[in-house]
Amino acid sequence: MSLAVMGGADYMRDPRKHHFHPYADNGGTSVAIAGDDFVMIASDTRLTRGFNILSRDQGKVLGLTPKTMMASSGCWADVLTLKKVLNARLTMYSHEHHDVMSTTAVAQLLSTMLYWRRFFPYYVSNILAGIDEEGKGVVYHYDPVGHMEKLAFSATGASVAQIQPLLDNQIGALNMKDATPPTITKELARQLIHDAFVSAAERDINTGDGILIHTITKDGRTDEKVKLRRD
Amino acid sequence: MSILHYNGGCVVAMKGKNCVAVATDLRFGVQGQTIATDFERVFELGPHLYIGLPGLATDTQTVYQRLQFRIKMYEMREGRKLKPQTLMAMVQNLLYERRFGPYFVEPVIAGLNATTKEPYICALDLIGCATEPADFVVSGTCSESLYGMCETTWREDMEPDDLFECISQSLVNAFDRDALSGWGAVVHVIEHDKVTTRYLKCRQD
Amino acid sequence: MEGMDEITDKKDNTSNPFQLYMPLLPKSECQVGEFLVDENGRKLRLNFAHGTTTLGFKFKGGVIMAVDSRATSGQYIGSQNVKKIIEINPYLLGTMAGGAADCTYWERVLARECRLYELRNRERISVAAASKLLANMVYQYKGYGLSMGVMISGWDKKGPGLYYVDSDGNRMAGNVFSVGSGSINAYGVMDTGYSWDLTDTQARELGRKAIYHATHRDAYSGGIVRVYQITKEGWTKISEEDSKNLHYQYEEEKKKKKPTTTSS
Repeated sequence: MSLAVMGGADYMRDPRKHHFHPYADNGGTSVAIAGDDFVMIASDTRLTRGFNILSRDQGKVLGLTPKTMMASSGCWADVLTLKKVLNARLTMYSHEHHDVMSTTAVAQLLSTMLYWRRFFPYYVSNILAGIDEEGKGVVYHYDPVGHMEKLAFSATGASVAQIQPLLDNQIGALNMKDATPPTITKELARQLIHDAFVSAAERDINTGDGILIHTITKDGRTDEKVKLRRD
Repeated sequence: MSILHYNGGCVVAMKGKNCVAVATDLRFGVQGQTIATDFERVFELGPHLYIGLPGLATDTQTVYQRLQFRIKMYEMREGRKLKPQTLMAMVQNLLYERRFGPYFVEPVIAGLNATTKEPYICALDLIGCATEPADFVVSGTCSESLYGMCETTWREDMEPDDLFECISQSLVNAFDRDALSGWGAVVHVIEHDKVTTRYLKCRQD
Repeated sequence: MEGMDEITDKKDNTSNPFQLYMPLLPKSECQVGEFLVDENGRKLRLNFAHGTTTLGFKFKGGVIMAVDSRATSGQYIGSQNVKKIIEINPYLLGTMAGGAADCTYWERVLARECRLYELRNRERISVAAASKLLANMVYQYKGYGLSMGVMISGWDKKGPGLYYVDSDGNRMAGNVFSVGSGSINAYGVMDTGYSWDLTDTQARELGRKAIYHATHRDAYSGGIVRVYQITKEGWTKISEEDSKNLHYQYEEEKKKKKPTTTSS
């Protein structure tokens, strides 16, 4: 730079190695809670790039089948690609089998697809939520390269450190003396998701603007939008 | 890994109604290896005055000793106990003196004003920039988790018992998601007439 | 259509598990580590489950496998309930240390290969052969950054079998192995208590104790202590206990023993 100012041409500079940076961190947080006959999955609606807000209205939960939804956040370009490929696969499956894929099968497929990119990973944190073959709510948590874990509740994305301990305490009943884990009702799940996001938005600049909460039961799906702080 | 995370540990302090609480974990480790599980990093500096010094353990001890020296000098010279605000200024001065070669500690101060009994909490960064919020302060290796817990569980004007429950649950559940802190916890609840110290039964992994 | 090749050409790992995507860049630019920085130079968190303690040992009653259940990414504990013993088939177990996805994926592929072997040869695969299949699979990817250190154990015609296999391509048979960040601690307990002639109860307790001590001292190990045993009838799950309960249980036992343990 200084050489250029002094009149030196650009090619006269010392050789410099340029690195390829294929990833960006676009923030975003998702939470999912499973109940006996429903599952609730929510994400915030903010998309960031560094200190800039790219969108205040970008939900991160994608509907895959009538019984399955996936929340993904991280590098938004990778999220879009993953969504595209996964949806194409599900369409092909339904054409071949004349049936939609079960939640458990989608869960394994997603893991395998993430591992396919083991040497150039999708930079995404995923949660898959759905209703299983028995009509129960299930949540699957993924790491970027496809390690999968079945859980009753989970948080992922930018604010995972803020939200997960709260869920451990309030749903898992960890460190509560003589307490049994509560029965998860829709009201309790909704309230917890709301409180968790409000707290995360308070302290994490990558989370905010709004929450999209989706509830899946065997009868169908309902969506709700809640406002969060926008600063 | 930052040098602030080398030994692990965390501190949290909260305001209540005419009381404050300060709590810490008990781990002293070297990266992944746990060396001791009885390492207290919250120290009593006066009858209603506590300081937590999470960060690099060697600096925890050095800063504590240098503070003790300065406090004793202050009390001899002035012939009175020091206020929490004065301690904060003293810590600021001590830390900023080393602006370009800092002590790797991020202190938390909790106490009651000796005359007005006003609750006081504050947190400083490693070169002495202080914040004095109205609710709670956190510091150490699991500060993100602590923020998440405290932000949802803290309410205004808690009585000492509620404050104890709130700070304990916040601390324990936060450090249970952090590999570098935990292995026991100690909570001090400071009221104008007494200080209650309790050790919590925690996971030991 | 651009980007749809992976679906239409069947050039992906859903039809052939060995067909993983290779970035169209020189290998020197392909190391995942190179990408783990975003455009602002901030570090990106990627790998899951690095800290671990797993152990396996042979004795007269078969093989004991014991593991913890913690997965960490950096200092954050991602999970306290990971199943680090993978049930390949009723006679084979695999453990998991290193990258969680690497271990689960390749041991799943191994399970498939073992089943195919059974169907082709009308007999069960030996532990030696199973472990060699895995070693050969990961050796194909040597230098690409896979991270796994696993033990494969089971019972075959030759009796109990225990092999260590890792992503560098090592494979060896042995009587006592421990893998992971807490292995140093686990080996310490193993070396004081191990002998070939342990009874079943003693052996299970030794495995459990070794993992517990590792969870206590190693920050990156913890959660639940799982113990499995393999006999000629195949594997059985012996116990799954929370490390917190074990700690206070052992503490009680120590207190009771104290007055009598003055000389050794």
